[in-house]
Amino acid sequence: MAIITTQNLSKIYNPDTIPVHALRDVSLEFEEGEFTTVRGPSGSGKTTLLNMIGGLDIPSEGHVEIDGTRITGMKDRELINFRLNNIGFVFQAYNLIPVFTAYENVSFIMLLQKREKAEMKERAKELLSAMGLSEKFDSRPKQLSGGEQQRVAVARALASRPKFILADEPTANLDTDSAMNLLDMMEKMNKDENVTFIFSTHDQRVIDRARRVITMVDGAIHKDERKSPPSKGESELSE
Amino acid sequence: MLLSISWRNIWRHPARSGVLMMAIIAGLWAGILVTALTNGWIHQRFVNLIQEEITHVQIHHPEFLTEREPWMYIESSDEIFSTLSRDQRVLSWSARTLSDAMIQSPLTSSGVQVRGVQTDKERATTTFHENLTGGDYLDIDLRNPVLLGERLAEKLNVEIGNRIVLTFQDLNNEITSGSFTISGLFRTASNPYDERNVFVRTEDLQALLGGGEVYHEIAMMLQDEELSNAVAMDLNSEFEHIAAETWYELSPELRYITDAGGSLIVYIMAVILLALAFGILNTMLMAIFERMRELGMLLAIGMSKLRVFVMIMLESVILTFTGAAGGLLLAWLTLGYLGEKGIDMTAMGGDSMAEFGYDAVVYPIAYTNDYIMTIILVVITALLAAIYPAIKALRLNPGEVVRE
Ligand SMILES: Nc1ncnc2c1ncn2[C@@H]1O[C@H](COP(=O)(O)OP(=O)(O)OP(=O)(O)O)[C@@H](O)[C@H]1O
Ligand SMILES: [Mg+2]
Repeated sequence: MAIITTQNLSKIYNPDTIPVHALRDVSLEFEEGEFTTVRGPSGSGKTTLLNMIGGLDIPSEGHVEIDGTRITGMKDRELINFRLNNIGFVFQAYNLIPVFTAYENVSFIMLLQKREKAEMKERAKELLSAMGLSEKFDSRPKQLSGGEQQRVAVARALASRPKFILADEPTANLDTDSAMNLLDMMEKMNKDENVTFIFSTHDQRVIDRARRVITMVDGAIHKDERKSPPSKGESELSE
Repeated sequence: MLLSISWRNIWRHPARSGVLMMAIIAGLWAGILVTALTNGWIHQRFVNLIQEEITHVQIHHPEFLTEREPWMYIESSDEIFSTLSRDQRVLSWSARTLSDAMIQSPLTSSGVQVRGVQTDKERATTTFHENLTGGDYLDIDLRNPVLLGERLAEKLNVEIGNRIVLTFQDLNNEITSGSFTISGLFRTASNPYDERNVFVRTEDLQALLGGGEVYHEIAMMLQDEELSNAVAMDLNSEFEHIAAETWYELSPELRYITDAGGSLIVYIMAVILLALAFGILNTMLMAIFERMRELGMLLAIGMSKLRVFVMIMLESVILTFTGAAGGLLLAWLTLGYLGEKGIDMTAMGGDSMAEFGYDAVVYPIAYTNDYIMTIILVVITALLAAIYPAIKALRLNPGEVVRE
């Protein structure tokens, strides 16, 4: 069964003044363990789609189901709690609490989930180490590079044991090396622990790493391609 | 954890938070000081009036205070005396014979109130004798001695050793008069009082009134001011035809300054806190606006609105509370110093305060209650001032905020 289903999703911003069709009739399914990127020109609706799936925005039409639960129409409070326990988020920037250390940022989300102290400690350390940050537990975001900050954000997203992780242009502010490094980490988590990732990007090299590539144009799904064996270099997806 | 975020958030802008804290420190310091000064003032006036004359509880004929007729003396005073002597709560008591009179010097005359006092008992009960500025108290060996206020003596143009004549109504409504020798002069904190009251021995006055041992007033000091109500009530139920009243009922002035003094403190604090509220509001709004994205991120990843709300409230409360604690500490230290030394108000027109019966040197007093109330009010202010910024943060739409 699909872990995420979107059914005829549409989003119209400013329906009363100058309507903007940010999404047009998007129906998609995502399976557990997928490593998917959403690409498309600026303004094509990538962020809007991810926000709909993540329950951060409300569709004008259609609905979103996550693991059999319809999140469209949930009450605000219910939705926040659902996000906390089911979805991991990585944003382009402002991911971390600036006054907290890397370790505290990762623990924080488990604290919100009211997890056991011991489990929390262990998992935070384990994830930060897996992200190559074992030296940076006590560093605050300001003392970390952009790439390190994004890796802390991925660790934080993983810490809550979500059903999948949404990452809206996680590499947009990173140099190529850091971007590839972040992708390595994400890929590792995907392979080793079967964590489902959906991320958007403009970067061709990031797109090349995905095993499923969804191309959006003008709010609609233009292409949806799967590369069967996870082999590199085979890219027929240039614009 | 929330506490820890809030605390650290405060120190993201040490200068901004510092300025607000300084404002709170200065505001509370000044507020407490003014309050303590007022308290001290009230307390001194209170002690003066109670100890010099009014005492804690007084007994009169029920209508004496309004009618002031000489025949309205206290019946069964002997039984009252023995009751008072037996009551452990009563420290000391003194009976007084009172009469309105005309005082005449060779030059001029004036209306006064003659207070006939039991010299020994009065000395043991009130501190009036300490106000003597010249001459001797009434217990000297002299026929018909009288004590005059300095001001009255000046007005009548008489001095110690001179004779004056007191004319009044006796118990049979006959006009009678007696000649008295000025044995001493006094000066209290109140000029009007000094002009209106003269003191004689109760037995001299009783002789002229012609009714034997009559007393119009019995004044008593108690172990504790707080016993006043209970003692007055017991006396009223034990004896008929008398009215025992507490200082609160007896002295409109004491009633006024104790009541008004209490509300003055509230007004002073209200003004200071109102000013602080705007400072807090401003600081918190700035803190929220610059952190919109971060707060949006917190809501997005699943921090509940309640938690975000509490976090912002805590931030405001901790910030304010820290400042408040500093202000109170500073005030406490200042008062520790001034409480012993007193503040000389002469330079600020303290002389003219004597016209109203206030001392020129004030010893400020801060009550623990005032500190506690201040802290509570400050915390409430901090909460109220942070509600609007916090609600603004909750209105954030995470989907909007996380968009780059
Ligand atoms: N709050 C809004 N009000 C009005 N229009 C909006 C709003 N948010 C997004 N849009 C519009 O919706 C369309 C889709 O925007 P979206 O941010 O999803 O695109 P995107 O593919 O993420 O673009 P980019 O690559 O620049 O991030 C755009 O035309 C955008 O201007
Ligand atoms: Mg976008």
